[in-house]
Amino acid sequence: MITEHEINTARHCITYAMENGADAMRVSLSKSVMDGYTFLNGELDKVTHSADRSIYMYIFADGRYGTFSTNRLDRHELEDFISKAITMVKMLGEDACRRLPSPERTEKSAVTGRELDLYDISYTSGDPDKRLEKARSLSIFKQTVENGTYRLISEECEYSESVDDSYLADSQGFEGRHTETTYYCFSEMTILTPDNCRYSGYWWEAAPKENQLHLQGCARKALQKAVRSIGPKKRRSGSYKMVVENSVASRLIAPVISALNASSIQQKVSFLEDSLAKKIFSEGMTLMDMARTPGMTGSRLYDTEGVATKDAPIIENGVVKQYFVNTYMSEKMGIEPTVEDISRPCLMPYLKGEDLTSSEKTVSLEDILRRCSSGILVTGFNGGNCNPSTGDFSFGIEGFAFSKGKITHPVREMLITGNIVTLWNNLLAAGTDLRPSARWQVPSIAFDNVSFSA
Amino acid sequence: MWKKAERYCLYKKHHDMNSKSYYQDIFKVTEQQLETLAATALSHGGDFCDLYFEHTTFFNLLLKDGVVSSGGFHTDFGVGIRVLKGEKTGYAYAENTEMGDMLKAAKAASAIASGTGTEMAYARVADRRHDLYPMQSNWRDMGADSFLPFLKEVEKEVLSRDKRIIKVIARMSDSVSDVMMYNSLGELTFDTRPLGSVTVSAVFEQNGKTENRSASRSFRMGAELIGPGLARELADEVVRGIDDRFKARRPKGGSMSVVMGAGASGILLHEAMGHAFEADFNRKGQSVFSDKMGMQVCPKGVNVVDDGTIAFNRGSGNYDDEGVPAQKTYMVEDGILTSYLHDRISASRYGVESTGNGRRENFRYNPIPRMRATYMESGDADPESIIADVREGIYVDEFSNGQVKIGEGDFTFFVKNGYLIENGRLTMPVKDVNIIGNGPQALADIVAVGNDLKIDNGTWTCGKEQSVPVSCGMPTVMISSLTVGGE
Repeated sequence: MITEHEINTARHCITYAMENGADAMRVSLSKSVMDGYTFLNGELDKVTHSADRSIYMYIFADGRYGTFSTNRLDRHELEDFISKAITMVKMLGEDACRRLPSPERTEKSAVTGRELDLYDISYTSGDPDKRLEKARSLSIFKQTVENGTYRLISEECEYSESVDDSYLADSQGFEGRHTETTYYCFSEMTILTPDNCRYSGYWWEAAPKENQLHLQGCARKALQKAVRSIGPKKRRSGSYKMVVENSVASRLIAPVISALNASSIQQKVSFLEDSLAKKIFSEGMTLMDMARTPGMTGSRLYDTEGVATKDAPIIENGVVKQYFVNTYMSEKMGIEPTVEDISRPCLMPYLKGEDLTSSEKTVSLEDILRRCSSGILVTGFNGGNCNPSTGDFSFGIEGFAFSKGKITHPVREMLITGNIVTLWNNLLAAGTDLRPSARWQVPSIAFDNVSFSA
Repeated sequence: MWKKAERYCLYKKHHDMNSKSYYQDIFKVTEQQLETLAATALSHGGDFCDLYFEHTTFFNLLLKDGVVSSGGFHTDFGVGIRVLKGEKTGYAYAENTEMGDMLKAAKAASAIASGTGTEMAYARVADRRHDLYPMQSNWRDMGADSFLPFLKEVEKEVLSRDKRIIKVIARMSDSVSDVMMYNSLGELTFDTRPLGSVTVSAVFEQNGKTENRSASRSFRMGAELIGPGLARELADEVVRGIDDRFKARRPKGGSMSVVMGAGASGILLHEAMGHAFEADFNRKGQSVFSDKMGMQVCPKGVNVVDDGTIAFNRGSGNYDDEGVPAQKTYMVEDGILTSYLHDRISASRYGVESTGNGRRENFRYNPIPRMRATYMESGDADPESIIADVREGIYVDEFSNGQVKIGEGDFTFFVKNGYLIENGRLTMPVKDVNIIGNGPQALADIVAVGNDLKIDNGTWTCGKEQSVPVSCGMPTVMISSLTVGGE
């Protein structure tokens, strides 16, 4: 955990910079510790202990700006470092738009770092032997009974506990602290079938509190994913309904979020330029930033500039409600600043043709499959990209064909191709099956008329 | 006027970077202390341990909207300590070289050897000192003022080539890493690794539509990289083919013949086979190539190499990150799988010498088998005749990213630019399509190899668990069937 001495060192950096030619400065001090254990085929394979500490400086001087970092925190070295940094900043081109955010916009309540309840107080009493046993308990390698269908040839299980502590301060008096613990487990299984084909599957869980982590079942789910993919069949190219499982659905929202960044818009590499307050997407698409939900991974009280986050709609019923505009872009583009980036995206439930707004109805993956009747269920993406200027995308996928709401067989080596705006205008459903462990809260989703190549 | 900026680093000018004392001075550690640390690391019965000291300085400048309005420098310093017991790894690091903190890390790493475990012998390697990237001009001696005119020159060159350009972003970055490695076999090696990169991207506007293109160069060399010739080269490349990009459409998707243009098509090798040949995946039985050593995996005549010895190449290293000298490794010779890519662990496991592929992102990570510069040697076909032989297919020559599923061998790569091939001729430009295939099948489906090998010197970075700089290359190659995304 960050000590008072280290905080004073960070404060000293600001004081020293201001006394030696800087007009303004922001300092970010980060410290993290991680203990990880990996088991290969039921035997301990790797033990890792890491402890990081670094300081990042944003220096404003003579209308110019630069960023600098070091992991050497000796006070005298830092002073030399800062002096040279200021000299370099003053050599760069002038940019009148560079400044700190106005103090009214910064967060005032992030004092202890624990306000969002993301820190497990039992972390410091963590026992290495207990951690090792937890990692060992993940493995099912020795319990797995071979059958005629497949042989488990490789199992990797990983368990880790970590704490990330950060302190942010600027020369206008802002100070903020954010502390969170993470408990994480991961399993990857590779199986071999009698016809000498390998199939693999993985699963992970994460939680900010130890007692929230669903450790057991992780390896079993990974194995199930591998086994389910045995015997893929070719599927004819064509236009199908596409259902995307909640574990991977965030892949399709990422290009939208990226295109809402003011920096992309200002540089003319966003397909959402001039979209603010316009209905761009399907009526059913509502994306919230639930930044300040206590106890949930991804929540934060302030962004990297120290600006207070807020729970707010980003896209509401298909209408773009907000760009992500930091102080620099606000000055440069002459628009109101918001926050630098989304914290905790949350896609709201939707069923085409039904009003879910006041309903407590749950919508599972199975419900969505039934509703779509037939199509392709995507459970993994394999490469691909989305053109930031046009929104044209092409992604490799793997998953299952389904018919009459039931999975029929695995598919592989398929691609989906289209335009991301068109895709989200063809939204059929968004479920309620959010994964609590994920920062991006995106449920299983379904789209109409998706072009598949095979 | 401001005085020329000095960079912050622990490097002392005029010191001989080929001398042991240069590195011991930076890391403030004696040989006796190295021996003590190694003994501590092995105190629980480990078979082998190594220490990886690193001091890296980074520097970057960014030109955007006509002004070099941001930049900075960064320093990273520390030591990673690894203990091996059989194939098991214990790893810890310290962000300083105070003896107390290093001993603490050594003890943490030593814990892997507690309890029972199979022993494994780790052998010394012959030292063959290379000097693959001598710097004429050390980046650390250069201030920001040395590069500001260059970035403006890049912008000017780009803008002068096409009136449709509405935005230019140019960035340059460099890093210099001082690395000292010591292990329990008594091997002490050291290296200073420069890496300079320049990237330029431009946004074009035509009839209300925008397109963007980018070009990059990256080499392990000193600041002599920067100059007007490079500015012109990048400007030429960034505007090349923009007319076709505005005309480009999505092709009709499906299985078809794919001709990979010379150069960046090496991404095919990286994804389709390179990762699957990395010995950690094979040691664990996860790779689709796990049981194919000595077998025919490509048509006869095909040679595939992973090479750490190309002078100034982004993927090269005088030593790998386990202190093993740089090597050129034939993975496939005359179509037969002849070698995996080994680090010390897998080399011991397979009873062979390490191929010098043990690499890591920095001292915070333990080394694992990684590619360097991966390429296919030239064949004897004329590139134009390869295209002429295709009745219906696609030609691709510009890529952004790729991915592979190691177990199944399914790989993809994203094509930024290409052309349809119709009756042996390049016709409609295509863009933004993903291509998917299966590694072993794609290798078996190679039907022609051109005589025009080209190494691509862009800013390729491989992200298997850790990020490391790599490069790739290919002659023109035809694969009889891959699945192409399309409308």
